[in-house]
Amino acid sequence: MEVNYLTEGPVSQKLISRLIEKTGLKTDSGGHMIFLGQVRADEIKGKKVKAIEYSAYKELVNAEAEKIKKTILSEFSEVKSISIIHSTGIVKAGEISLLVFVSAGHRHQAMQACSKTVELIKENLPVWKKEIFEDDSHIWK
Amino acid sequence: MEVKVLFFGVLAEVSGTSVKHYRDVKSINDLKLRINDDFPEIVHYNFRISINSEITDNNLLLKSGDEVAFLPPFAGG
Repeated sequence: MEVNYLTEGPVSQKLISRLIEKTGLKTDSGGHMIFLGQVRADEIKGKKVKAIEYSAYKELVNAEAEKIKKTILSEFSEVKSISIIHSTGIVKAGEISLLVFVSAGHRHQAMQACSKTVELIKENLPVWKKEIFEDDSHIWK
Repeated sequence: MEVKVLFFGVLAEVSGTSVKHYRDVKSINDLKLRINDDFPEIVHYNFRISINSEITDNNLLLKSGDEVAFLPPFAGG
């Protein structure tokens, strides 16, 4: 089954809740670590960011996300599952654009594996962002 | 022969398109020259290239139907 790593618009509270609800089924895990990346209302040269428009190369995102999961699973023996969801399209300041959810046997590996997953996403996931200001001008990051 | 070229992020803005087809390009270097001719501004940007969803730094030969993507530095998260 093909996993969908991308979601159109912000990562919804509903999606986050659904993943948290499922933790009860993972009785082999002693710790879950969730990272939520949020759009910041940065101020650059007097202009405030109102949203970020994300674009992604879907096929390559899928390939790279699979590689990231494989790397984490081989490095952290206690990790049971890893979920990665990244936004595409418009995400407003204050909304969530990235979710990483790692479940592991014990807390240390859950925390370390989650942190490393986020770093690998930053480095390797083919996603681009256009920061849109309140006056509708933009810059690429 | 024809290859499909995808432009992402700022490069889609620079080229004014996210997809363009090129005929009779033998290799990555060949394609880069054609793209530099069409979009001279592209030389000011850093990018990597993928062929059929596989990132490569080599000047590989191209075949008909290949999908080549121009990828600016990633900025997810």
